[in-house]
Amino acid sequence: MASHEALRHLTIGQYIPADSPIHRLDPRAKLLAAGGLIIAGVVASKYSNVLFLALLVAVLVKVAGLRLRSALANLVPVMPVLLVMALLQILFYGGASRSAGPNRLLVEWGLLHISAESVRVIVVTWARFVALFLLITLLTSTTTASALTRGLEGLLRPLDRLHLPGHEIALVGAIALRFLPILGEQLEAILQAQASRGVSESRSRWHLLANARRMAQVIVPLFVDAYHRAEELILAMQARCYHGGKGRTYLIPFRSRPADYVAVILSISLAVLAGVLQYSTLP
Amino acid sequence: MKPYDRAIRRVVIAGLLLAITLLLTFTNVAFIPVPTPAGSATIGHIPAIIGGILEGPLVGLIVGFGFGFGCFMNPLVTAVTNDPLVIWLPRLFIGVTAGWTFALLRRANRRVLAAMLVLLTLLVLYYSYQVGGKILWLGILIAFLAGLGSLALYNWARGEETIVIALAIAGAVGSLTNTVLVLSAAVWRKVAGIGPEVALGIGLTQGIPEAIVSAIVAVAVVSALRQIGKRRGARL
Repeated sequence: MASHEALRHLTIGQYIPADSPIHRLDPRAKLLAAGGLIIAGVVASKYSNVLFLALLVAVLVKVAGLRLRSALANLVPVMPVLLVMALLQILFYGGASRSAGPNRLLVEWGLLHISAESVRVIVVTWARFVALFLLITLLTSTTTASALTRGLEGLLRPLDRLHLPGHEIALVGAIALRFLPILGEQLEAILQAQASRGVSESRSRWHLLANARRMAQVIVPLFVDAYHRAEELILAMQARCYHGGKGRTYLIPFRSRPADYVAVILSISLAVLAGVLQYSTLP
Repeated sequence: MKPYDRAIRRVVIAGLLLAITLLLTFTNVAFIPVPTPAGSATIGHIPAIIGGILEGPLVGLIVGFGFGFGCFMNPLVTAVTNDPLVIWLPRLFIGVTAGWTFALLRRANRRVLAAMLVLLTLLVLYYSYQVGGKILWLGILIAFLAGLGSLALYNWARGEETIVIALAIAGAVGSLTNTVLVLSAAVWRKVAGIGPEVALGIGLTQGIPEAIVSAIVAVAVVSALRQIGKRRGARL
């Protein structure tokens, strides 16, 4: 049950108003900078690089005036499953060699082999996950959904030359972000409704058919609910004669300030640096 | 229906399905524990399949992109590899193949479907003959299972509407696209721990249950949505 309740607190996609240097950045710059940091996070797979990145993102969260605790609280519901997986991977990653080297054996006890490589994989994966998770939370809680949409649209403008629907793609992203918390709440309600009717929470690996059936029972109501919401939204957009972004102007046009350029340049150079460091000789 | 209404419908449905995908992958609801080396089967690709079926390959592509992104954020997946060519690229095609399959089959009649089933059975029987040349009992076992499977499929398909059959096939094809492309990408990029034999093992033990689950869920979801959509001018 506890795992159901935490779904409501999924703060990805929820704006938290404040006046911080990060809140004031141009959304286009924020998107580009986040992209740069995500690339850096994905490329980096050494202790030093990934831990530095996680630290950097944590500092950025502080600068934005968000509470690190509440940002990390989002991770709680997914923890149990992930911990079990991490443990299994540490124990059975295999491929360890007895000689010294990057893949030397740390512990050997019966069937269990813990190698330096498997520990590295797990630590790096976790640090990366936390960093990327915080980064996305940071992006969505310092930028309103409409600003994100407009920022994405602005970045996708070059696509218009190729006759690709940049505005529509940005709108898809905006709708997804807007409905993420709502559907999370809905999923939680479905899970609780079924639990209260006595649907057991068997997560044993061997109950394949039971697991699959349970999944269908959860996912079909979720889809139906989403579809109802979609129909309502479609009707609302048609009633307001929505006809795309062509020729649309804005009350407050974006103006990039020096801070925006600095943020973009810094994050992109970080991404490049991560790529370079990956192939250098640091531990 | 006005020309832009089609576009509005596409954009909104894609947005909602993308939200479901991200929700399922972020909260790990999408990963069902199974007893295989990979540890968990996924249902995160089902929104992409549904998107492809409901609104065409483009919507499927967009939702598949979101699934790739969600997998990228998930440490269950990135612990194995962090290569975007393995994690992200193959998942773009899930909704596309499902959409195409459904577009091809929705108008097909019973005879075409029966012919396809016969063809598939013959292919599997040929494969079992090949295997039987090396290991006799395994070949006989595969042939037996293939015969049983196609009988069961035929029996099931006789009583259903052709659109339901098309939905089930599209769901299975979308899921198999995921399995086959991700595993071949993993072998191609030489991901640690996944050689050709391991990949084949995962593909059989995990790909087939996943395909069956997504066929069932695709039929269940789309049939439920059809009841609503009929009144509101959806394409189905």
